[in-house]
Amino acid sequence: MKDVEGTCSGRHGFVVAITGIESVGNGLVRNGTAFVTFPVKYQCVVFRPFKGQILEAVVTLVNKAIWDSSEAGPVQIFVSKHLIPDDTEFQAGDMPNYTTSDGSVKIQKECVVRLKIIGTRVDATEIFCVGTIKDDFLGVINDPAAA
Amino acid sequence: KMSVASDSPVHSSSSDDLAAFLETELDSDSDSSSESFPIGQAHDDDDAQVSNHRLKRQKLEYPEDETENVASVTFSEEISEASSSKVPCEHPGTFGNMCFVCGQKVEVTGVSFGYIHKGFKLQQDEVTRLRDIDMKALQSQRKLCLVLDLDHTLLNSTVLRDLKPEEEYLKSHTHSLQDVSGGDIFMLEFMHMMTKLRPFVHSFLKEASTMFVMYIYTMGDRPYARQMAKLLDPKGEYFGERIISRDDGTMKHQKSLDVVLGKEKAVLILDDTENAWPGHKDNLIVIERYHFFASSCKQFDHRFQSLSQLKSDESEPDGVLSAVLKVLKQTHSLFFQDGGEDLSSRDVRSLLKQVRKEILKGCKLVFSRVFPTKCQAEDHPLWRVAEGLGATCATEVDASVTHVVAMDVGTEKVRWAIREKKFVVHRGWIDAANYLWKKQPEENFGLEQLKKQGTDDVIVEKLRDMVVDAYTLSNPNQVHEDVILKARDACYMAQFSFSTLM
Repeated sequence: MKDVEGTCSGRHGFVVAITGIESVGNGLVRNGTAFVTFPVKYQCVVFRPFKGQILEAVVTLVNKAIWDSSEAGPVQIFVSKHLIPDDTEFQAGDMPNYTTSDGSVKIQKECVVRLKIIGTRVDATEIFCVGTIKDDFLGVINDPAAA
Repeated sequence: KMSVASDSPVHSSSSDDLAAFLETELDSDSDSSSESFPIGQAHDDDDAQVSNHRLKRQKLEYPEDETENVASVTFSEEISEASSSKVPCEHPGTFGNMCFVCGQKVEVTGVSFGYIHKGFKLQQDEVTRLRDIDMKALQSQRKLCLVLDLDHTLLNSTVLRDLKPEEEYLKSHTHSLQDVSGGDIFMLEFMHMMTKLRPFVHSFLKEASTMFVMYIYTMGDRPYARQMAKLLDPKGEYFGERIISRDDGTMKHQKSLDVVLGKEKAVLILDDTENAWPGHKDNLIVIERYHFFASSCKQFDHRFQSLSQLKSDESEPDGVLSAVLKVLKQTHSLFFQDGGEDLSSRDVRSLLKQVRKEILKGCKLVFSRVFPTKCQAEDHPLWRVAEGLGATCATEVDASVTHVVAMDVGTEKVRWAIREKKFVVHRGWIDAANYLWKKQPEENFGLEQLKKQGTDDVIVEKLRDMVVDAYTLSNPNQVHEDVILKARDACYMAQFSFSTLM
């Protein structure tokens, strides 16, 4: 069970937690070893982000003039500078961040932001997402270092 | 069939319509939004008709789903309208294979910037745009860009099994990995390596960071590069994520500034290998190799003992890094001098040349029996190097000549120089000035020094004969004189790199 939790399938998304086992099928003995494989039907909670979805995520990395990367559970979301409001400027330093021109809003590591997913790409083991905070009602929700 | 409960706006219920909708959503590409709408809208109508019924059933279980569902459908409609009225996206770059501005699937082209984020690529126009932004930011901070090599430049690493018995004592001198500040030799058991940082490196990085935004660019792999960065920069304040390894380079066995987000005219490179940077020789400051471990010496074919075997090390205040730091300071202050706003015309490459030309300024050199007779003296690399160092070169002696560069005592020019009390040096004097960025005392490079090769004289003779034979064989048409000169040159070049160790 532990092997499946945390994996990702392209079709269904990340398996977050198994909630129950429906049935266990007949076992098949594997050639060459004494192991037996059982097909198991189970119920689980999955996480699959969709395009257009609005999520809250924690910022994990802020980079100069390019982007910030946020995490929403097991998914990493990439937000490019193009999709951050125009009036924010990058500030380098110990804690690199993006600050608005009037200094009122700061986007830095550990901030929680609300973003919209504008594209997802799924491969066998991972889901990549691209997001934006340029629309209405998006942006920083909570800044732990807020003055 | 798996039943799915997720965070997405589409909730799960036992309705057939919804199940069908889900199936289509999951099967189709999530990037294409058009397919979901007809079904979404149908669902909406359906919803309205059976809304009463559903509300009663679901209120207890999923109270917020009803409103969420309606909201998500209208929301999706808005997206499709909005995207059709936008300016066509230029796709400045991709993450995975999606454009990170519009989210569409695009063909993946452009330069890979894997060290910034996995799967991140930028188009050339976007790279140029970012470099321009970077230039402005740097200028406001009065900083330039510095790209640093790791091996033999800032540190020297060895695989544990290559340690010689005389080097075993080092194991008891290694610093703890828990607190790397102040330490300079580390044991990395999990990588089967030992690393020695070059003397003066901490002060070097500290001072350089006030003038430069620094990058690491190494031919090692990414885990090695990250680990070395942790030793040199435990707080992450000097390099940040600017750690480029061979996994991030665009070409095998070569380094290039294409993955550096800085304008070429504001980037300086510090590396021990000139040939690693074929396209950027003007930005490069070549530094003397740091050989601490015996295995490192062996790799470059040294016959002398390594610093670890001699239980000694480079001098801190007078060492190579200190000399290079002075050059960096000089170039930096030339770039930002006058404090004018128009720094866009300044180019760090021409400034570096300018700094170099100060080294042998005022010297007039004549070469005696150094170049093969068939070759044009002005084209010889040594002539070029000397001119690059600011010296004037001539083919004939006259009163204004200050130095005669020769390899043998018996030439006419050398005799003239001794008569006229001019300096007589061998070519090592020029090479040393080139490497150390400073004019060296001529006494250390007199012709008598050439003869002092110690116990290796016999080996040198044999080597010389071998090289002469090899050259004769491969150049049957060349005058014997020239062959001897070339052979002697080659021997000399090989030896020179040993002598600088002392």
